[in-house]
Amino acid sequence: MKAKHIFLVLFGAGILTSCNDNFLALTPQTDRNTVNFYQTAADFNNAVVGSYAALKLSGVYGTSLYWMGEVSTDNADYGVTTRQAVNVDNFQFVDRTYTSLNDIIYAAWRDHYIGISRTNAILTRIEGANIAANLKTQYKGEAQFIRALLYFDLVRLFGDVPLVTTEITSPDGASSLNRMSAEDIYKLIISDLQSAEQALPVSYGTADVGRVPQGAAKALLGKVYLTRKDWAAAAGKLKEVISSAKYQLLPKYADVFSFATPTNAEILFNVQYKSGNTGQGSNFGPVQASEGSRITGGSMRYPTADMDAAYETGDLRKSFSMRSSYIDATGQTINQRYVSKYVQFGSLAGDSDIDFPVLRYADVLLMYAEALNEVGFNPEAVMYLNQVRKRAGLADTKATDQASFRLAIEQERRVEFAFENQRWFDLVRTGRYVAVMAAKKLPVKDFNMLYLIPQREIDLNKNLKQNPGY
Amino acid sequence: MNKLSHYQSRAWLLGLVWLLTVSQLLGQTTHTVTGQVSDEIGQPLPGVTVLVKNPATADRNNGTTTDAKGAYRLAVPAGSATLVVSYLGYTSQEIAINNRSVIDVQLAPDTKALNEVVVIGYGTQQKKDLTGAVASVTAKDIQRLPVSGLDQALQGQVPGLQISSTSGAPGGNTNILVRGIGSVSGGNEPLFVVDGFPINNSGVGNPLNTINPGDIESIEILKDASATAIYGSRGSNGVVIVSTKRGKSGKAQITVDAYTGVQEPARLLKMMNSRQFAEFVIEGHNNGWLDNGGPTAKITDPNSVRSTSYRIPEEWQNLNNLPAIDTDWQKVIFRTAPIQNYQISAVGGNDKLRYSMSGGYFNQKGILISSGFQRYSARINLDGQLSPRLKVSMNLAPTYTATDNVPSTGHYGDFNVVAEALSMPPLIPVYNPDGTYGNTNALTNVGMGAIPNPVQTGNEYKSANSQFRVLGNLFGEYEIMSGLKLKVSVGTDFNYYTTNTFKPSTLSSSASVSPATASIVNTSDVNWLNENTINYRRTFGAHAIDALAGFTIQKSTTTETTTRATNFADDLLQNINGGQITGGGYSIGQWSLFSYLGRVNYAYNDRYLVTATIRADGSSRFGSANRWGTFPSFSVGWRLSEEPFLKDLKLFDDFKIRAGYGFSGNNAIGNYRYLGLLSATNYVLGNTQVPGLSQNSFTNNNLGWETSKQVDIGLDLAFFNGRLQFTGDYYNRRNTDMLLNKAIPSVTGYTSAWVNIGELENKGVELALSGKPLATRDFQWTSSFNITFNRNKVLRLGTDGEQLFSDGGRGDVSITQVGQPIGSFYGHQVEGIFMTQEQLSSHAKQTGAKLGDFMYKDIDGNGVISDADRTILGNPQARAFYGFNNTFTYKNWSLNILMNGVQGKDVFWAGAVFVRGYHGVQNNLAEVIDNYYKSPDQPGDGNSPRIIRGALNNNLRYSSFFNFDGSYLRIRNVTLNYNLPSNLAKRIGMQGGRIYLTSNNLYTFTKYPGYDPEISNSGDNMLASGIDYLGYPPARSYTLGLSLTF
Repeated sequence: MKAKHIFLVLFGAGILTSCNDNFLALTPQTDRNTVNFYQTAADFNNAVVGSYAALKLSGVYGTSLYWMGEVSTDNADYGVTTRQAVNVDNFQFVDRTYTSLNDIIYAAWRDHYIGISRTNAILTRIEGANIAANLKTQYKGEAQFIRALLYFDLVRLFGDVPLVTTEITSPDGASSLNRMSAEDIYKLIISDLQSAEQALPVSYGTADVGRVPQGAAKALLGKVYLTRKDWAAAAGKLKEVISSAKYQLLPKYADVFSFATPTNAEILFNVQYKSGNTGQGSNFGPVQASEGSRITGGSMRYPTADMDAAYETGDLRKSFSMRSSYIDATGQTINQRYVSKYVQFGSLAGDSDIDFPVLRYADVLLMYAEALNEVGFNPEAVMYLNQVRKRAGLADTKATDQASFRLAIEQERRVEFAFENQRWFDLVRTGRYVAVMAAKKLPVKDFNMLYLIPQREIDLNKNLKQNPGY
Repeated sequence: MNKLSHYQSRAWLLGLVWLLTVSQLLGQTTHTVTGQVSDEIGQPLPGVTVLVKNPATADRNNGTTTDAKGAYRLAVPAGSATLVVSYLGYTSQEIAINNRSVIDVQLAPDTKALNEVVVIGYGTQQKKDLTGAVASVTAKDIQRLPVSGLDQALQGQVPGLQISSTSGAPGGNTNILVRGIGSVSGGNEPLFVVDGFPINNSGVGNPLNTINPGDIESIEILKDASATAIYGSRGSNGVVIVSTKRGKSGKAQITVDAYTGVQEPARLLKMMNSRQFAEFVIEGHNNGWLDNGGPTAKITDPNSVRSTSYRIPEEWQNLNNLPAIDTDWQKVIFRTAPIQNYQISAVGGNDKLRYSMSGGYFNQKGILISSGFQRYSARINLDGQLSPRLKVSMNLAPTYTATDNVPSTGHYGDFNVVAEALSMPPLIPVYNPDGTYGNTNALTNVGMGAIPNPVQTGNEYKSANSQFRVLGNLFGEYEIMSGLKLKVSVGTDFNYYTTNTFKPSTLSSSASVSPATASIVNTSDVNWLNENTINYRRTFGAHAIDALAGFTIQKSTTTETTTRATNFADDLLQNINGGQITGGGYSIGQWSLFSYLGRVNYAYNDRYLVTATIRADGSSRFGSANRWGTFPSFSVGWRLSEEPFLKDLKLFDDFKIRAGYGFSGNNAIGNYRYLGLLSATNYVLGNTQVPGLSQNSFTNNNLGWETSKQVDIGLDLAFFNGRLQFTGDYYNRRNTDMLLNKAIPSVTGYTSAWVNIGELENKGVELALSGKPLATRDFQWTSSFNITFNRNKVLRLGTDGEQLFSDGGRGDVSITQVGQPIGSFYGHQVEGIFMTQEQLSSHAKQTGAKLGDFMYKDIDGNGVISDADRTILGNPQARAFYGFNNTFTYKNWSLNILMNGVQGKDVFWAGAVFVRGYHGVQNNLAEVIDNYYKSPDQPGDGNSPRIIRGALNNNLRYSSFFNFDGSYLRIRNVTLNYNLPSNLAKRIGMQGGRIYLTSNNLYTFTKYPGYDPEISNSGDNMLASGIDYLGYPPARSYTLGLSLTF
């Protein structure tokens, strides 16, 4: 029977189709997915770029580090006086009475680990990838630097934290991780930076400006040693940077933050921003058409009166970094200090080109001076401090011994790196945070030398125990 | 007629031929009886069996069947006293012959007949043999209602099937739930199967509108796992099988159906008039100024002293000298709207080829200006017997629908014309004297909001959908040997739809002008299916077996293109071409499904019934490590009525106990969800933006379907020759492996991941009772009642104590948490109104509270009212829903009344925050001015707060004050029908005809103060259901219809 044959053919055709697994293995055609990712050099390059991008997340340089590094100190205020349900989190930095529900602190925890997971994925997968050796070395070095930078923040902000060094591939992969000792975290940071130092190029071509160079790895390693009070190692590493002669202080402080160029001779590493309304602009400054004109929006940050007074008379940096009043959108003069360091005249709200400094040469000099001084009061240290002061239009330091030099460094760092998210880290490093705040009658407690672990993370991982005091 | 009944009728015919031959051989003395058999509306019924019941030779009946004109001619042996007239789907009649030679018979339909054949997945079964929970609805029950889609017609007719019309717009959305909400993150809608094709229920508006209800022959609802497991990973939310009309042998029967009528709003709200509104504004703004204006604020402060929000328009300050304007804004946006439907269909054929075709046009204007829905539909169903063993069938149904939308849900800032009309001050004219639209722009300087003019919105805001759908399939069935059939089908569902919106620059939700915007969304959805089954059906003595095995392949590709434009030069060109293209997107979504299925129905002695079903689904939606899911089910039935001990009682026509347990799945978890996706994480290098990519979700190769495990225990009873029937079911539906976006430690690099983890339970009881309380020759009363009780409870979420909040348009007021029903309302409990200073001082601290403000309950007992004092305020899911249907027939007249209702459902009337908000800004219900708290001497009705704009107590926060009992009883449909007497019809050349008058949604008994308790803002989002945010209210309609058959 003919019909019978037709049916058998149809049946058979169906069964044949069933043998084809591809019929069920559909992948998205209009969304990128991970099925074929992490294979080519281009894939890894995209992933490395994605890791740099993590630095711009709100929990990293985007927002949190400013609150945790500046508003929590005598440098900056919230600027708002009315307490409302919506700004509870912000006032906690003014009061230094943090709760575990603080979203700014949670964002810091979350986004640092998001960045770490991006670098972990690269470092886990790049070994087996078939890509050119020089690129493999460079990408590894970049990922290691970014991972070290993020862990360095985490270990200073939270103390002992879970240590993840490979890609987590299961939703339960971190549900029972313990906090590892800061010692273990530093071990990873140091080894990452040592590898990165070997792997990273001294400099990049024009198209790659903004990637992390060798000098930045050395400088960050120096900072890590300094934090760990390993003065000799710190001085050694920082001296390497100085001796490399790759970097210098720009003659004018304002030029360091110029938006005209993506980088300059003073910058070892910064977070890159770019206007153009593509989501790559920076949001650290208010909107102002030109010098002295009305401020019509954007992000306002507010120095404290104490900060205002901290500048020595004649400090050229002050008028660049902060102003004492402004004209608002309606033409009224508002007598309130604001941070002017990140203003790009004519830029749109949240869309300026000004990069955010992470490591710059002035920092290297002052860290080096600090490392030397911790061993003993040292004329070389005085010389480097005076280099920084000289550019600011100030006379040489009056410090004459180790103790007074320590305070001179502390003061110099405060004004040199004003609103660059360094103050809290500097004071905690030197163990002076509580004393300095208390002396200024700012509310503070001993345990504020560490932030607290976000409640959400404790709820989701019973092995995480809260920091003492909280 | 479906395939099986055709097969059966052939068997019948063979048997009858044999019987006739035998009776003639017996050569008894006979006389001839002739007559005509017609149906309940006087149309001739061909194929009706007419048997002579011969008491002398009870086992040797003889008989015949009626011809195409319903006529029969039968030789009746002497001594025979009774004719038995029977036809599938109709109540059999026994008629005394009394030596008459002409006996005309009119048969009444009996939809619950036991030998009724019901369509189940991949086959048919006699109702008496069913072991699962399956309900059927016939064409008559659907087509009686003048509605655009079958879903609206099914409301109240099937136990366990809950349908809510969440929008009254023509062609508007419905929620369809079989035995409760089965999923938190996945789909909740049942699978729709049209003539064997499981369709993607996608499209714009309500996709079921693309099926012309006039083409439907029957609808079966498969409810328990034993019935739905054959649909495997798509069966857990129930299955709705739609079968369309097929051809019948005989002379062409051409039917013309037409109805036309009018619709009006079923209910209007009583809003304030100008004077009441002015008083309301003055009271609200004065109180607001006193509370917010600082220590020196006085009622006598002029506008110049007050801040903007608390000013009072100068011309409204003197109640006795108000502008002579009193606009009833509801009157200008609602209208009496026409509805009409025309259909012509032809049915006929011969032994070799049978056809059923139809063309239809449906046009429903909306009761809100500028809204409407139209459908053009056509269908051809062909069945051909190519050879004695080979049968082919074809269905082809193109449909085009076009909908004009008017924004009708949410805030007036989103141009919701209902919200605009209810909020607009009556002191604003529709048109100014110069012909321009009345507006509120000037009022924004004196503390009133900018509300777009609803008439202008209705006239100028353009939003139109159209959908073109072709549903076609081809079947071939080959009978290899007796009882063994091989069936192959190929089908496609091609669905193309588009949405075009345009907002002109003249429309603005603020006092300033906003530029014109337009967008267009084009979607094509191509779905093809191949099914191959082999079926063996045979009876060996007392054993009856019906076995099915097969495999199916299905794939669907949905492609969507979106384009947006702005910067229009003018408002003349009202689509994206008039402006500059500013954005858009493109997406392709695909899924594929490969399945093996099998089922065995076994019956012993017509008494002991067993059904076992299995389906294995391989789906592209499941992770690679979990690609195949297997869904077995098993059920048994025991027809006690066939046991001798009961049979002898002659009490029961049917007495069956059923029990089943099985697994089915929910694969509505989205395409590709198991795959880790990359998102663009760009950065700046070399002073240029460079592309970067980062993984933003886990790859979870184990991600799979949600599993539903369901127990069903049922009882079917029928007494008194089927005049009373009862069906009851208890079910427990446990959904496990529910897909949830579980919160995970962010140390992983992600904050959440999709995992199969949740659990949910629905358990309930369904009862259905139907019967014929009265049946005389001229007068008949048939009645049916069904009721369903369902309890929904969340058993497990991603983490203990997790609270999933959902925003149905007015904030996070719906909560899903363990131990509670999905989407419970969560907010502050109002304990009363602060009436005395003592209450204010003794009550828990409530910042800003003054006399006349709401007193909230201190749930956590800490003496301070805060967010922590929110609690469960209600459950939007009905505790019970029911339907009650009655038909009274007197000679050619019949009256049908269908009622349905819902009991124990709470509604958050989000619209009350506006129209019953006591805020002195937008217009309010007239009752507000009668009830409000004015002062200790004039405390109002004791339950209502003071009128105040900007209450520091935040009286407008979500509280039990805005929750209402949404129970209702609706007279859903009343139809008065007159059948043309068949002799009259014949005289004017027709086979039959009827004329009918219908009212839909005649009246609703409810305490709910809004337009309607069924209206919901959240559409299909069951996590935030039961929120009425000033949606499109339902219409009441009156239609006159005519149906003529030639």
